[in-house]
Amino acid sequence: MAPISWHSVDLSLDECIKCNICTSHCPVSAVTDLFPGPKYVGPQAQRFREGDQAITPDHSVDYCSGCRVCNEVCPTGVKIAEMNARARADMVAKQGLPLRNRLLGRNELLGKAGSFAPALANFAMHNPFSRFMAEKVMGIARAAPLPTWSTSGTFGDWVKRTRGQRLRSAKKVVYYHGCATMYYEPFIGKAAVAVFEHNGYEVIVPEQNCCGLPLLSNGEFGAARNYHQGNVGKLTGFARAGLPIVGTSTSCTLTLKEEAPELLDMHDEAATTLKMATYDIFEWLYELHEAGEFRTDFRSMPMKLPYHAPCQQRAHRVGKPALALMALIPDLELPESHARCCGIAGTYGYKVEKYQIAMDVGAELFDFVEAQGSDVAYTACDSETCRWQLEHGVDLPSRHPIEILAAAYGLYDLARRDLTTG
Amino acid sequence: MLDLLIIGAGLAGLTAALRAVEAGLRVKIIAKGMGSLYWATGAIDVLGYLGGEERAVASPWERLAELDAGHPYRTLGDTRVRGAIDWFQQHIEPSGLGYRSADAHNLLTPSPAGAWRPTYLAPAGQRAGAATDDRPMVIVGFQGVRDFFPHLITRNLSAQGQVVRAALLPWSVLSEQRDRNNAQLAECVDDVHTQQRLVDALKLVVKPGERIGLPAILGRHAHAQALAHLQQGLKTDVFEIPTLPPSAPGIRLATALRQALEQRGVRVEIGMEAIGFHAEDGVIQWVETETSARPLKHRAHAFLLATGGVLGGGFNSTPAGRFWEVIFDLPLTVPQDRRQWFRPLFLDARGQPAFHGGVAVNAALQPVDATGDAIYANLWAAGSLLAHADPILERSLEGVAIASGVAAAEAVKTKSTAAVATMER
Repeated sequence: MAPISWHSVDLSLDECIKCNICTSHCPVSAVTDLFPGPKYVGPQAQRFREGDQAITPDHSVDYCSGCRVCNEVCPTGVKIAEMNARARADMVAKQGLPLRNRLLGRNELLGKAGSFAPALANFAMHNPFSRFMAEKVMGIARAAPLPTWSTSGTFGDWVKRTRGQRLRSAKKVVYYHGCATMYYEPFIGKAAVAVFEHNGYEVIVPEQNCCGLPLLSNGEFGAARNYHQGNVGKLTGFARAGLPIVGTSTSCTLTLKEEAPELLDMHDEAATTLKMATYDIFEWLYELHEAGEFRTDFRSMPMKLPYHAPCQQRAHRVGKPALALMALIPDLELPESHARCCGIAGTYGYKVEKYQIAMDVGAELFDFVEAQGSDVAYTACDSETCRWQLEHGVDLPSRHPIEILAAAYGLYDLARRDLTTG
Repeated sequence: MLDLLIIGAGLAGLTAALRAVEAGLRVKIIAKGMGSLYWATGAIDVLGYLGGEERAVASPWERLAELDAGHPYRTLGDTRVRGAIDWFQQHIEPSGLGYRSADAHNLLTPSPAGAWRPTYLAPAGQRAGAATDDRPMVIVGFQGVRDFFPHLITRNLSAQGQVVRAALLPWSVLSEQRDRNNAQLAECVDDVHTQQRLVDALKLVVKPGERIGLPAILGRHAHAQALAHLQQGLKTDVFEIPTLPPSAPGIRLATALRQALEQRGVRVEIGMEAIGFHAEDGVIQWVETETSARPLKHRAHAFLLATGGVLGGGFNSTPAGRFWEVIFDLPLTVPQDRRQWFRPLFLDARGQPAFHGGVAVNAALQPVDATGDAIYANLWAAGSLLAHADPILERSLEGVAIASGVAAAEAVKTKSTAAVATMER
């Protein structure tokens, strides 16, 4: 395995002024003693992490959820979350990784495997006995909100099936759907395609890999490198041709843009070209709006929709474009969550020893939603795992803001989660 | 398009935003991090010390004229400075934090080292610690709470004639968790059960006639309620002594200002580090912030720089002696020679040249070049980055932030009104 690089992170270490703002905002250390906070396991422990040292001085770094709130609030720009991710990868490289973490890191493989017989896979995975066994044998929390495979085919199946009906246009966009849309939530992809086409864009859905984030956050940098290399090979050609690569999974787009190149030190021309062409879907739509090219022929949507910008979206550092665009929909009331994190943080909350921490972290968000009253039918959030956690924490269905836009254009049924035109 | 983009979420930026939105401007704040109030005392210092004098200033309003001619207070004039502080006091009132002056004079309250610290507007939670109060004190700490040592405070206050004693309570009164910083402990005290445990434990410690000094952890969100609960339960006054960062009183002030802004529709976007800008013919068109990929452009008619000095991150320096403002590379009055940054004595009563220097501005608080001309037609500056003040030495940090923040917002408003009038003609 490639040595873990501390390039660029080491430089930011000395920017730490020990002000404790990160720890005061860390949603994990707020609820558990098992994680002493970003300042301690980040810039402080970092001073004791030497290249030739057998093990990390602080195993509690494994309890960092990687939500990146510390980076967000740091007044001096210390790359705390990256420090923690590298320290965890160091630990994994030296001490190995449990099977569970290997499994949770391989979302693409799991998605593909289950999609051969999704109904069977759902039954096999989601019956109480197997969840009990998964907890006992592997340490996957039995109550954690694992996704279900799509039983109406994958997003790829739909793209193939509807090829003849797709819009052709001189304006083109490349869609990065990621694993969740491909295998679990094809309707997110359908809603995105509907919105792209409604705005006059032809949608190209190229072959693509998992972005590698689950591997990065479980410390498997070597395997993540293969995935990212795969995406660079498959997508950079489009970027070179001047096409934007736009994704609906906000943590995937963050990984293509920043996490993978930064953590894996992949700063070559091809990876950088991909980085600079990649957009989170609302970031891209907002640019369209600023250029005066975004269609606002919305139907009235008289409802109250609590919106949570997930920590992985905030980590893009592009503001909250989904909030700004949904605000253009007539009669839609959008209470904004200021919760730090829903708790799930990718695969963190799936782990039996972290499940309760994730639920305690999420309480802030659940309380916010519950405080909005009983006339709330849906919540909205840009990240799939957060929506699953949100649905688990409060008894309300959650939607991606792109589903909201598609519905406001009259193209999508929010309840059925399908296009109105089939 | 925005009328005003404010860079910086410290006291100057937040105050300026509140004044600007009140004046009818469309305004937004961007900031690299959460803002410097997290390491502030939460009290509003206006002017505590002058020119190396040992005694604290009794009333700032009698002494402003003695400051250097270039000092932001002198630039604005006594009336505007006092008007701004009054305006602030009025606008922070709905927060329930209860900011008051001692009859327009400074108040002396204990610091965490046991010094008497002059401040102008003290929040309700700190006022019962005043030196003018002749009741004895008991300073109560908690075993394991970092950076708060009641015996140190007691010894230093005793040496200055205060009747005071120290006591320690066990950590378990505050939290079942072992490792909490002051901001997290303050969250524990938001819980009424913790408050009641505190009351019960303090009852065993306090003697009749004593007021009680505690580290500033009495609530992060429910401070007023926590303070009232303790005072009613103990039937005596309780006061907080500000702690080292993270400082709950500073966090409460930041939260109150952010909430006031949110109610008025002003967004505060954090995690946004300004890394560049674009100007045409001396007019700034946009400021760029760093993102996960491409720089993000923030366009506005006017821009207010409130990024602080060295500590806030507004300035940077090289070992060779270059000392610069990080976004617009504005000229600084700081000597560009490392040997001239500091005097031989660390605690020299005259302060250090490196901290006295900053961004020079005109009467409208626009950054100026060596000839006194505004460098950009639509750029203003406020807060501790301003030249000719040494806010830490003078104990004027918050006063300078508020006075210049309010004045800069008003200057932007005046200019935008004038621009509209010109267009209408």
